[in-house]
Amino acid sequence: MDEVFAPPGNEWRPVSSALARMRRTVLAGAVLVLAVAVVVVVLTLDVPLWVLAAALVVLLLAGGWGWWLIGRNARYWGYAERDEDLYIKHGALYRRLVAVPYGRMQYVDVTAGPLEQAYGIATVHLHTASPHTSARIPGLPRDEAARLRDRLTSLGEAQAAGL
Amino acid sequence: MTQAPSRERDYRRLSPLTPLVRSFIFLVAVVGSSWQSALHGELGPIGWLLLALALAGLVYGGASWLRTKYWIEADELRVDTGVIGRQSRRIRIDRLQGIDIGQPFVARLFGLAELRMDVAGSGREGSLSYLKLSEAQQLKELLLARRDAVRAGTAQPEQRVDRHEAPERLLTKVSPGMLAASIALSTETAMSLLGAALLIGLAVWADSLAAVGGLFPVLIGAGLVAFRRFSGAYGFTVTEGPAGLQVRRGLFDLDAQTIALPRLQGITITEPLLWRRLGWARLDVSLAGGGRGDDRHGPASSTVLPVGQRALADWLAAHLLGEPLPAESALSRPPARARWVAPIGRRFMAVGADGAVIVAREGWLARRTHLVPHARVQSLRLSQGPVQRLLRLADLHVDSPPGPVRVRGRHRDEAEARALLESESRTSRAARSCQAGDRS
Repeated sequence: MDEVFAPPGNEWRPVSSALARMRRTVLAGAVLVLAVAVVVVVLTLDVPLWVLAAALVVLLLAGGWGWWLIGRNARYWGYAERDEDLYIKHGALYRRLVAVPYGRMQYVDVTAGPLEQAYGIATVHLHTASPHTSARIPGLPRDEAARLRDRLTSLGEAQAAGL
Repeated sequence: MTQAPSRERDYRRLSPLTPLVRSFIFLVAVVGSSWQSALHGELGPIGWLLLALALAGLVYGGASWLRTKYWIEADELRVDTGVIGRQSRRIRIDRLQGIDIGQPFVARLFGLAELRMDVAGSGREGSLSYLKLSEAQQLKELLLARRDAVRAGTAQPEQRVDRHEAPERLLTKVSPGMLAASIALSTETAMSLLGAALLIGLAVWADSLAAVGGLFPVLIGAGLVAFRRFSGAYGFTVTEGPAGLQVRRGLFDLDAQTIALPRLQGITITEPLLWRRLGWARLDVSLAGGGRGDDRHGPASSTVLPVGQRALADWLAAHLLGEPLPAESALSRPPARARWVAPIGRRFMAVGADGAVIVAREGWLARRTHLVPHARVQSLRLSQGPVQRLLRLADLHVDSPPGPVRVRGRHRDEAEARALLESESRTSRAARSCQAGDRS
């Protein structure tokens, strides 16, 4: 792990592995739909079978690459709760790190779409007075998301500083 | 409401001239287009229609004026409006952040003014238009005095705060000549002149006048924009009163704006390329709840000085911050290897911090120096793209509320960027708690 995006003090807490599982399911579904589409198109257009095979291989390779990217991206998500601020880092190729003081938080959102609900995960989003603050943690287990939200809200109230 | 409409209350109305001012342009158009035919007694169907519309508008405006009342009750300013459906707005006085008085041109002809109120937390403005100018000023004073009384927790809102006594101190006034010169030397003017020269060159080269035809719309547009900027910032005056900084400006539409210093989030000093030789600069501020300044109506509402000597801008910035500006030595440039990602820009980038503010500078055509007090930092970010990682560089961003101010240190050494993030996070925390201690 490189030093620039090293955890502040304690370790980074990872997000749930369900995030990668969910994204991989979506990817697999998309690849399947595309494969069916390719087969149908190739059969109706009456082109040689090797074209079909080549197309499917390319599709599979792309799918495999996506599979690997999703796993890598999920590994790079991490957050660290400290006494006065929250650190979040993410991104494998484009790396990001954000430090949000609890006293600067205006509100905390917890959202879970239908798919996320099926996997038992949720996204926690922190908002400050600045629209540039991009503090979002996806793929938290539902209980952990609720715990984090409650902790952030109470800490935010305790340390709130006016604008 | 407890039998409110039937009880006599000490409410007031807007100026009775309000409907006239609101439909003034339309009325002028109607009269201008049809007075000749009306004199000859042959008003066409369109003329009658316009006349009927104007009359209906005036009747509706009159009814609207009749039904609009405002009064102060407890800690709220209440405004009742609506001809058909009634609306009642309550503006909490203790949440008022700023009150501005504006005089659009037509209203000014009638000696009227508009009162705009900035309310914290609601994200929108309440306004009363139109009042007599003296009435608007009185109401503004009254609301501000009441607000201070409510905020101070005194139970008697009748207590007068003597804000009339404190005189306003003139800080600076922009001369029309300098303003005109600054607009003539702006990048926009340079660009449109360059475009015109290009078109003329094209016309000469192609030996046809067709290209010159395209010239006029461009030049007229540029001229209009320049003139609007000039009229918007004409007579730009900055004074200091008990409520904060007062900015007054305008040639046709008069605008007065109060900048309360506790709302200050950051300062930007801009030096466009053509101004640098003259040593001129512009000063903008970000305010809490100020929203994005837009440049359509002349200078943005964030502008505190549209043009002035750099020394004056620096002095004003230091005055706003209440601290001397950081020394030039506090700023450091990105490492030499940053030239691979920013060959020209690197020379103009710098970032640094002193006891009071974090400061960043960048920009080649327009050099901008951004200053944010440590206590106003919202969140801190680090970002690194693939090329930057190869070069061991990273960007540091300091997040501020919406506005012109944007402190960022681009292409810093990655270890330095992380160290800056950690140290700024400590400094701003200390500054915040120190300030919270002051307040209680």
